[in-house]
Amino acid sequence: MHTVIAPRDERTQPARIVPGYPQTPWRNPREPLVRRVPTLSELTGPLAVAPRLELLGGDIAGHGAKRAIGQLMHLKVRVVDEDGAPVGGTVVEVWQANGAGRYSHPNDDDHAPVDANFYGAARLVTDDTGAFELRTVKPGAYPVPTRDGWWRPPHIHFSLFGRVWLSRLVTQMYFPGEPLNAQDRILNAVPDAAARERLVARLVSPTGEPHDALVFVHDIVLRGRKATPTQP
Amino acid sequence: MIPTGEATIGPFFPPRFVDAGANDLTQLAGRKAQGEVIQISGCVRQEDGEALENLVLEIWQPDAKGIYRHPADPRHAEADADFLGWGRAATDQEGNYAFRTVRPGAPAGRAPHVDFMLMFSGLMRILKTTLYFEGEAANGADPVLAAVPAARRALLVARREAPGKYRFELKLRGEHETPFFDD
Ligand SMILES: [Fe+3]
Repeated sequence: MHTVIAPRDERTQPARIVPGYPQTPWRNPREPLVRRVPTLSELTGPLAVAPRLELLGGDIAGHGAKRAIGQLMHLKVRVVDEDGAPVGGTVVEVWQANGAGRYSHPNDDDHAPVDANFYGAARLVTDDTGAFELRTVKPGAYPVPTRDGWWRPPHIHFSLFGRVWLSRLVTQMYFPGEPLNAQDRILNAVPDAAARERLVARLVSPTGEPHDALVFVHDIVLRGRKATPTQP
Repeated sequence: MIPTGEATIGPFFPPRFVDAGANDLTQLAGRKAQGEVIQISGCVRQEDGEALENLVLEIWQPDAKGIYRHPADPRHAEADADFLGWGRAATDQEGNYAFRTVRPGAPAGRAPHVDFMLMFSGLMRILKTTLYFEGEAANGADPVLAAVPAARRALLVARREAPGKYRFELKLRGEHETPFFDD
């Protein structure tokens, strides 16, 4: 199967250098990025990384006495390509702060408490419909330790592979109605308002399941279309 | 549909996600890949020269015969069953990364090469670049290397420091800045 990758609309993607995100001016290229015509190298990619990466499942909230502290939530994500076709069988990595806004990470020296029942990392594979589900607790907001510090709104990080090298995506998902969304320097690095809106999950009414958790749905679109037979 | 916006991995990418052995491409499920085993290592620095710790690198390459393990490669049926072609590493406290892999063959129309991705706190977008090998006659005819301004091409050619050992230094910005691709 052949995949076509079109250039992106830059307004739908974040600026590389973000005012108030102090590392960005040191770490992003000064020279213009080099345009290349995609070759077979970029239009292929790892389809089955699972042998290299241990699957950890998508239930990270814990159960019973081992349940993580916080608001239980179910997240239902659908991963599609630019044709809207499901991207099944692809590895997804998920990581997030605990309910108090603290990561299980040696670099997080914030004062918010660690939760012994929450590590905050899931790794799973999408099903044939491109869907995956996460059972977790809603992450807390946390302060960014910059001179004029700002608070990251609650968000969940995702890393996805897709079908080819250029469909690789690292992104973040936000929650509806959060006042911190409007000030977040990372979310607002995306110039286009509609593109920012697509980074925000939707709250839905739970149907046919126990009412023990908030239910959110979210769509992720990976780069790539199927080549049409008319293409040379 | 419009592709979802990228974002940085931030400073808290779980250490558990850099699985032990994910930087060793020379075996798959305990079986050895065909070809010459090589090591690719280097240091990743930012503009002021500071070496960067916990930066995540991923690579993608064809097998020793130049075949990608992907159905879009016309020769895909003959790909080495014991070679996946993908790996992940993270930089250590000194900013160093290392991969063990097999020397890639040349895909049709290309010089032998390894594609790289860099992800890090402060990188809002994934940075993509490509490694070439010192001393490869085919480098001069590679269309991707030719797209890079001539004065910067040498920055994409890994230095052979010993048989089977290559150094590929990565500089995100500033003097000797690595050429990155707009894709
Ligand atoms: Fe975060």
